[in-house]
Amino acid sequence: MGLWLAAPDFFKARQLLSLATATSPVLVAAMGVSMVILCRQIDISIGSQFALCSVFVGLAAQRGGGPGELLALAMGVGGLMGAVNGALVAGVGLPSIVVTLATMVTWRESLRWWREGEFVRDLPETFQWFGAAQSSGQWMVIGAGVSVLGGMVWFTQFCSGGRFIYAVGSDPEAARLAGIRPRMVTFLVFVAAGAFTGLAASLNAVRFTDVDPKTGTGLEMQAIAAVVVGGVAVSGGRGRVLGVFAGVLLLACIGPGLVFLNLPPQWERAIQGGIILLAVASDGFSARTGHRNAISGGKHHA
Amino acid sequence: MHDRSGWRRWLGIELVLTLLLCMELGIFSRTATNFWTAQNFFEVLRLSVEIGLLAVAMTPVILTGGIDLSVGSLLGLCAICFGKLWRDAGLPPLVAGIATIGLGVGLGSLNGVLVTRLRLPPLIVTLGSFSLFRGFAEAITKGVDNFTNFPASFLFLGQGYLFGVIPAQLPVFMLVALAVWLLVHRTVIGRGLRAMGYSPEGALYAGLPVSSRLMWVYGLAGGVSALSALVYVAHVGQAKADAGTGYELLAITAVVLGGTSIFGGKGSVHGTLLGLAVLVVMKNGLILSDQPGELVGIVTGVLLLTVLSGELLMKFLSRKSEVRRRERLLKTR
Repeated sequence: MGLWLAAPDFFKARQLLSLATATSPVLVAAMGVSMVILCRQIDISIGSQFALCSVFVGLAAQRGGGPGELLALAMGVGGLMGAVNGALVAGVGLPSIVVTLATMVTWRESLRWWREGEFVRDLPETFQWFGAAQSSGQWMVIGAGVSVLGGMVWFTQFCSGGRFIYAVGSDPEAARLAGIRPRMVTFLVFVAAGAFTGLAASLNAVRFTDVDPKTGTGLEMQAIAAVVVGGVAVSGGRGRVLGVFAGVLLLACIGPGLVFLNLPPQWERAIQGGIILLAVASDGFSARTGHRNAISGGKHHA
Repeated sequence: MHDRSGWRRWLGIELVLTLLLCMELGIFSRTATNFWTAQNFFEVLRLSVEIGLLAVAMTPVILTGGIDLSVGSLLGLCAICFGKLWRDAGLPPLVAGIATIGLGVGLGSLNGVLVTRLRLPPLIVTLGSFSLFRGFAEAITKGVDNFTNFPASFLFLGQGYLFGVIPAQLPVFMLVALAVWLLVHRTVIGRGLRAMGYSPEGALYAGLPVSSRLMWVYGLAGGVSALSALVYVAHVGQAKADAGTGYELLAITAVVLGGTSIFGGKGSVHGTLLGLAVLVVMKNGLILSDQPGELVGIVTGVLLLTVLSGELLMKFLSRKSEVRRRERLLKTR
């Protein structure tokens, strides 16, 4: 992070505020994905879920839905799509990467078929920033992101439900013998990930005056990258929510950071990939040399 | 392990896919115009070569229990590097092509090094290189550069016809597919790959050189991706940074549809080819039947889930009948 000390302008308050607003939805989505990965599964369909939820939110706003209704609708639709994934993974027993690969393609193409790439326009005045002024709206979005983060820290560290996720992720069979129902936990985790994606979609949608049906393309990779950089093991059961937070922040700073350092922005993807590899490689190194004392290895090297 | 002898051996995913393919052919021969012509047949083959190469190279990777998400991005990067070597370094296409394949092998081996030396999960390593390779392609071209005007002798690889009908890239594909098939199904190495997929520990204690084999598998995937990049560039006639976006998912879909277990150990190259055939025939048929292109994605997703669920169900039923058979045997004694 010391890199960005070279560009003092980067730390101007307004710049940080808009960056934080843009990052909040990614953070919320990454929270959902981190639960899935902690449970030893993976979900690559959240980008498509995100797009579908955004369009639903936009259409509901056109018909005059209030902020509460919009949030409930988005989380409901997201949760439903998550339930499809969960049922196929936990109920039928198919591998999660294949299931979510299939649902990713299916949702995305259904949306394209239905909307034909059309933007949802002519949204009421009260839609953007939930009808508030821009600055207070920004704070609302950031506040939602931070409270989700706080809730997740509390849930994963201090609630039995959160610990169940870790238990199932480390060893489903042992968890079953300990009286946890691994299939139920897996199912609920997918539903929760869908609902979080819905919430993220509505937080993202209110930043603009119309809804782009292509929104959320590549979000799954962004979220998984943040989770992995944050030190969560893809083998499940190991990692912390605060680490994911650090991962989200780090990856979000690359793009704007490049602009402020006057570097060509085309390097963003390459640097992102480099950071992911570096983070997991340092994790691997520390695991090999046996100096693994903290749960999260990756973020210290960032 | 489940004993697959006699007629039971054919009651697998291959049969399901063959039936599916026949069904597709039957439906589309009625609904689609110009579907049942030799010209269209070869056109379908031509369009499936790039994805097919990736899918064939992906099969051994998935057999070892790994995955390679970076092949699509590597295709893009190799296409750019080929264009760069040919136009800016002034190399003849043949030399540039060989250098590109070397680059592909090298970058694929980079995945292999991270997977084997640092014992990192392949999903994460290749997710990282997925961004890294595409990012380099974007950085080299600054997002706008585009290589065109390749010589006709090179474009022949992607657009020409042998003997007037056979697309020029088809022999290349068949050669690679045959080589990988022989490697996986007729050599000790291929058997070792399955063993590694079933149980990496067990393979190690059985004396298999697991690390170096994995390196070779990822290197092979990289090299074939580079070859696929050459075919792609010759086919489309230009090289841009976004070449091959999303191809990795199509390739994985073909492999998984073809009955290769995503957890490794089980699967076949001919299954992959069948899966690929089902996918490309469906795409071609739907488009020739004047259906919207989006339907292709939807049907692909649903098909993938249905075939896999069907396979699980069949396994469950055959295990049940096996149990019943044994019970009967016990009673008669």
